[in-house]
Amino acid sequence: MAIFNAKDRVIECRLVFYGPGRCGKTTNLEHIFKAGKKYTQSDMVSINTKGDRTLFFDFLPMGLGKVKGCDVKLQLYTVPGQAKYSSTRKLVLKSVDGVVFVADSLEVRRQANILSLKDLQQNLAEQNMNIFKIPLVIQYNKRDLGDDGIPILPLEVLEKDLNSKLKAPSFSASAVNGKGVAETLKKSIQITLSYLNRELKWTQ
Amino acid sequence: MSMKERIQGLVKEAETYRSMSLLKQSKGKYMELLALVEKDPSTSKQKKLIDDIKSRIRAVDNEITEIDQATESPEISEDVQDLIRNLFSFSPNQATAAIEGAVALAKFGQYEKGVKELERLVKDGPTPLQAAINLLRCHLSLASPDVAVEQYKQWAVREELGKGDLKYLRTFLENYFKKRGIEAELPETGEESAEKADMEGKSDDILDLSSLGIQFEDGPYKGKTVEFDVSFQSGNKVSIIIPSNKKALVDLFKQGQRLSNIQCTSSIAIFNGSGAVSGKTKVTTGPKHGSYNIDITLDGR
Repeated sequence: MAIFNAKDRVIECRLVFYGPGRCGKTTNLEHIFKAGKKYTQSDMVSINTKGDRTLFFDFLPMGLGKVKGCDVKLQLYTVPGQAKYSSTRKLVLKSVDGVVFVADSLEVRRQANILSLKDLQQNLAEQNMNIFKIPLVIQYNKRDLGDDGIPILPLEVLEKDLNSKLKAPSFSASAVNGKGVAETLKKSIQITLSYLNRELKWTQ
Repeated sequence: MSMKERIQGLVKEAETYRSMSLLKQSKGKYMELLALVEKDPSTSKQKKLIDDIKSRIRAVDNEITEIDQATESPEISEDVQDLIRNLFSFSPNQATAAIEGAVALAKFGQYEKGVKELERLVKDGPTPLQAAINLLRCHLSLASPDVAVEQYKQWAVREELGKGDLKYLRTFLENYFKKRGIEAELPETGEESAEKADMEGKSDDILDLSSLGIQFEDGPYKGKTVEFDVSFQSGNKVSIIIPSNKKALVDLFKQGQRLSNIQCTSSIAIFNGSGAVSGKTKVTTGPKHGSYNIDITLDGR
């Protein structure tokens, strides 16, 4: 849960980018870091293994400035997507306030998306959090590959696979070109802050 | 679609997946391509083409092997280690947060640094037993049972920890090994019983309690034992949370009230205790909004 310092009017919250391996979580953060320089407070920290795969997490702290009289600080994280790093994902997910689920539009990654979403649901449940209640945004990444003749899943299929029950806000994106990244983040911040306001009454 | 277009399409897919490090998918496409080429009479004799595909498959295989064999404990800078320690210690209690930070370091591949930190906390920290348990957990999950046994033996020889603490840790290890069918010899720590040793010499009675069963002496729950999960513990002070819809239960707890029959459950032992209600506050923020937080100070023995 976010830390709210009522005396200094500062709220600090944690957003986690989740999704299957190689879906583009780190690419999202890299774009946010490059495009949102004025909001970022320090360098982005990435701990990778061979093949630029996230080994532990990526971390990017941001300051959004004043929102309704409160200084809003954000911590953006990614989790390692590979199945074997389950315990690391659990650790990064601890005390999360909002989640961006990055789905891979590639046809060959259809099953990986579904498994990763189930993994998210399970890991949240282990921390007494409910995937239906936590502020969640879904991003369908790598949409640009369709134009190159690489088989991608139609949005309707992705929605049916991943979002038919959750009904979370969803966005098409091509993180490698920066498309859809800002929209996804903006929505995630918006619904997370609104959720935290209901929980912590930080705007009062 | 012509054969040439099919080949080009598959190569493009395979190379795209490879560039994204989706290596299994890349190999899958190359295998599909190889089967296609070998089966089709127009291409099955083209040795150069087939060799080229096979060579690409070997290259992808090599990349897969490299990734599988890559280190999962990379060297990271002191700054990043500090960052990990700070980002992954969540408890408002400083002593617990220090232990969480050290455990996080070990979990994030900085095993040596995490272990060093926990060793320091065992030696100089305010909650040496908590630190010691977590150090053993680190050894058991990230190194091997032998390392945990060796650590325990060192503590026993050096007398860094009290007999009660050693007995507690011994029981912890014995239970762990028993569950997994591991045989290990642990040095004896003294003659006293585990229960006596557990509580001896510790002013704070720092057992990791998971729940409290409280027997009520009057009111609607008279004579009944109600089980509560422990939401927070610092030494002998524990907190439980009662949801707002259980008002009758909330009303039974009054500041200063004695609780003479409490069944305390920890991960390794259950024992009877007593204590007093040291605080009762309504939770005004967060997901437990409206619930009541009851603080109980357990009596030492």
